Amino acid sequence: MLSDNDAQEVRKVFGALVRDVRIKVYTQELECPTCRDTEIILKELDGLSERLKVSFLNLQTDRDEAEKDGVDRAPAIIVSDGTHSRVKFYGTPSGYEFSSLLTTIVDTGGSEEPLIEGTVQFLNDLDKNLDMQVFVTPACPHCPPAAVLASRMARYSSFVRSEVIEANEFPELSRKFKVQGVPRTIVNGIFFAEGSLSETMMTNALRKGLADDPSDETNLLDYLQNN
Amino acid sequence: MDLKTGLVGSGSSASRKLDLVIAGGGPAALAAALYSARYDIDHIVLESYQPGGQAALTAVIENYPGIKTISGGDIVAIMKEQAESWGAVFEMASVISADPLKDRIQIKADSSTYMARNLIIATGAAPAKLGVPGEDKFYGRGVSYCATCDAPFFRNARVLVVGGGDSAVKEALHLSEFVSELVLVHRRDKFRAEPYLAEKLLSCKNCSVMWNTTLKEIKGDESVEGVILFTPEGEKELKLDGIFMYVGRKPATEPFANLVELNDNGTVRTHNIVHTSKENIFAAGDVTDNDLRQIVTAVSDGARAASAVFDLLQ
Repeated sequence: MLSDNDAQEVRKVFGALVRDVRIKVYTQELECPTCRDTEIILKELDGLSERLKVSFLNLQTDRDEAEKDGVDRAPAIIVSDGTHSRVKFYGTPSGYEFSSLLTTIVDTGGSEEPLIEGTVQFLNDLDKNLDMQVFVTPACPHCPPAAVLASRMARYSSFVRSEVIEANEFPELSRKFKVQGVPRTIVNGIFFAEGSLSETMMTNALRKGLADDPSDETNLLDYLQNN
Repeated sequence: MDLKTGLVGSGSSASRKLDLVIAGGGPAALAAALYSARYDIDHIVLESYQPGGQAALTAVIENYPGIKTISGGDIVAIMKEQAESWGAVFEMASVISADPLKDRIQIKADSSTYMARNLIIATGAAPAKLGVPGEDKFYGRGVSYCATCDAPFFRNARVLVVGGGDSAVKEALHLSEFVSELVLVHRRDKFRAEPYLAEKLLSCKNCSVMWNTTLKEIKGDESVEGVILFTPEGEKELKLDGIFMYVGRKPATEPFANLVELNDNGTVRTHNIVHTSKENIFAAGDVTDNDLRQIVTAVSDGARAASAVFDLLQ
């Protein structure tokens, strides 16, 4: 899947890894047309750095582990330092999703904290769970900042879980969350944001939104425009 | 398989003095970054949360000399990679404010502050809104400004495209590969788009054009279900699933309004192509009042602006 040029670029990118990154890949044999491609891409990535520790699981036969990881569909990719399963990607990591996955791998195994001080403070103060779902498409160049921000927040805080979802591969989920444009971020099933918000905007809006605790679906931008 | 290998940047909580801040992430900013890095200017590029700017949203580019055909996303990725290879420094942050100090400009981004001797404004432009009822309500629910991103949601659907320039026609052609039927409405009786693109759209089998027609209202419950149009024959209602807007661009100049002179349309007023009303502030690309807004002119502006900064620093 990776061209020689891509492989060379990725090898260079993985040069920033200073500790091991654990990746779990869940696939299944039936009713998953994109599982095979996902497996191939991750196998190729696995060969590009000794810091990557990739394991391949079957959603049907490894049910207990899938349940523990909170995975209920495939293909799924979990990126972590081995201590949690909070950062997930659903769908083939193609196009711009590959960029989001690579960035998350480097964030996890790199030496620098990519979140800004305000976000770190927000996450340190957090005492409620945040479930973030970011719907993306492979052709969307403005999706990676939204996908990566959710993944970074989930990597940092045990209160946050992120799922980056390829909207085309999971049409039922896209319909459920009324996705007709990307990136679309859903938080706790109640807050939503269209487009990529900056870290500052996202954390300011979430801080106000969590305090407000609305019962109806609310646009996170409303918290920024009305204040 | 197409795999994008560029990493997503990160923000910073830095506060420091430097010679140049380049605000923006599109072709003008990337060219300015490349030239600044090669001139060894102490700089930072404040790249917005829409990396690559509007250029990145263009499905196919066929008029950039030297490259027969390429996607907007790919060309800006190559530009960024090239700039980085020469030492260009990027931070993912939007400029919030820019204020003049005695001999510097104070630029506040999301969580960083820079005191720069010079500034290149290359923040580009965002898609303009038409301002019709329903447009905000249905944004992300059938109203879109990015066919490249959202076309797959409208597979076998009926969609409307509003506009008559290059962007409208190019993106309508891209959309026509997904949808069952595409109606383009344009307020004039001919396209402003390049004749080559216009001819291609007019011969597209699942496309039709309504001339001298404007959008009055977008209707629906949870998502877009139809529109009301003003046509030469009077009001007309169309049932459809999505609307893609290409009705011009709004320059992203808000943080710079107190810093340099702007034109009535919000663009930065320039002379000698990239010079603004302030000696140490330059503007490049779609944010300016320059008439031709293309990638090829944006990169030219970026290079000129960086060169002008280099001259000032000597």
